[in-house]
Amino acid sequence: MTVTVEPSIFKIVKYDSDEIAAVATEMLKLLGMASTNLIIEVDETIAMSRVTTTVGEPVHILVMSSAFENLKKPMTFSADNTRFSLGRGLLRVRDRQSGHFDDAPTDEDLSIVEAAVWETYSVGRLSRLGLKVHKQRWHYNFRNRHGFNDAADKDFEKIWTADDLTWKQLSEISQHAIA
Amino acid sequence: MRKFFPVQDLARDERFNQATNEERMSDPRGTSNTGVIRKARSTNRLTPSRPDATDAARSLMHGIMVGEIQALEGAGRTCFDFVTGEEAPFALKLDMARQCWDEARHVEISVKLSEWMGTELGQFVENTVLFAAACSQDPVLRLAGVNRALEGLAIDVFTTMKEFGELAGDPYLAFCEDWMLADEVTHVKMGSVWLRKITEDDPERRKKALEFQSVVDKIFSYGGLRSESDESPILLARRFRELAGFSDGELTEIADVSLAALNERREALEKTLASSPA
Repeated sequence: MTVTVEPSIFKIVKYDSDEIAAVATEMLKLLGMASTNLIIEVDETIAMSRVTTTVGEPVHILVMSSAFENLKKPMTFSADNTRFSLGRGLLRVRDRQSGHFDDAPTDEDLSIVEAAVWETYSVGRLSRLGLKVHKQRWHYNFRNRHGFNDAADKDFEKIWTADDLTWKQLSEISQHAIA
Repeated sequence: MRKFFPVQDLARDERFNQATNEERMSDPRGTSNTGVIRKARSTNRLTPSRPDATDAARSLMHGIMVGEIQALEGAGRTCFDFVTGEEAPFALKLDMARQCWDEARHVEISVKLSEWMGTELGQFVENTVLFAAACSQDPVLRLAGVNRALEGLAIDVFTTMKEFGELAGDPYLAFCEDWMLADEVTHVKMGSVWLRKITEDDPERRKKALEFQSVVDKIFSYGGLRSESDESPILLARRFRELAGFSDGELTEIADVSLAALNERREALEKTLASSPA
């Protein structure tokens, strides 16, 4: 496993590339991806939390700076947020590598509804791996994309508690929630 | 009880971390760019169609919540800091007391909305610039800075959040923002009425107050947070501002100041990137 962080020295935010690499290594082990080679590219000019992954050799993760940020102290590093952001991205990579997500659009081409449903699936699994997760945040995100009603809430729970869904199944639940 | 309370002494529990406006402005990062972000959205306006809409709305809601706390503290100070009759009319203080009542209700509503949206209190940094604008030693400047500039911004923010709730189908958000918006229009109108009344025979004082309002407006444009450009998340709510007593000329001035703030932030980001060592 190799983890490379770009840039190696940050100019705007107060992040340390070694610290980011250490968290990434920890997450790769936690998710059973210890043999994965990773390049993490941080765009420090953007204060957003977006994480975009591209499966390849090595795996490439593009991160907007707020994904690793301590939101209480802007421009400073948060290991917890880094763990959480990388965890979500790496789970998408793992899903894609499983063969059950071959028909899923690339990260860049995911619609906001597709992104929300996959985030729900990923964060639910991260919570069971012991990461600190605020479920209501993801429930609100799901409702924003699927509707504020009881039927959508039931579908959220179905995805949140699942561990072995395929892209086809995820899409079907999502479409059911919107219907 | 102490008068003219300094911003750095505001009481908060350990959940909150405060930042001054200078600290906030030292962050040159943008919230839009080319590539992935540009592909994902054609506008920065805060609508549910933005990929980051949920988190952006949560962050803004938290900003509203701490802003309401500071607005309550500011209006409360104005009730107490000035001698009744000599420095501030009783009726003005009565209006400020009414505002305290409104702001306390807004704090409660904002806390509940934040929880509904999945935000922990204190999760985001608290910018103390609102209370800083309420520290002027002249009550007229406070009315100009807080009631007209800041509560004016609140009109823009609540209008945007109300529309966000309507578009997303979030019944609580749309309903609560609509009710708070009605209060904000009243607060701005109180500021407009008292500013004109107190400075009726003192054009110099009125000029100073309006200059102060303009400065606060620029600071609170948040480097382009609010303007009439699609690059700003918050749209200038002209109609509600008219109801609150803003003239066409004043609205045009605020729009110009906001656009200038947006351009300054863009230039600052470009400068930072150009001057950074490779």
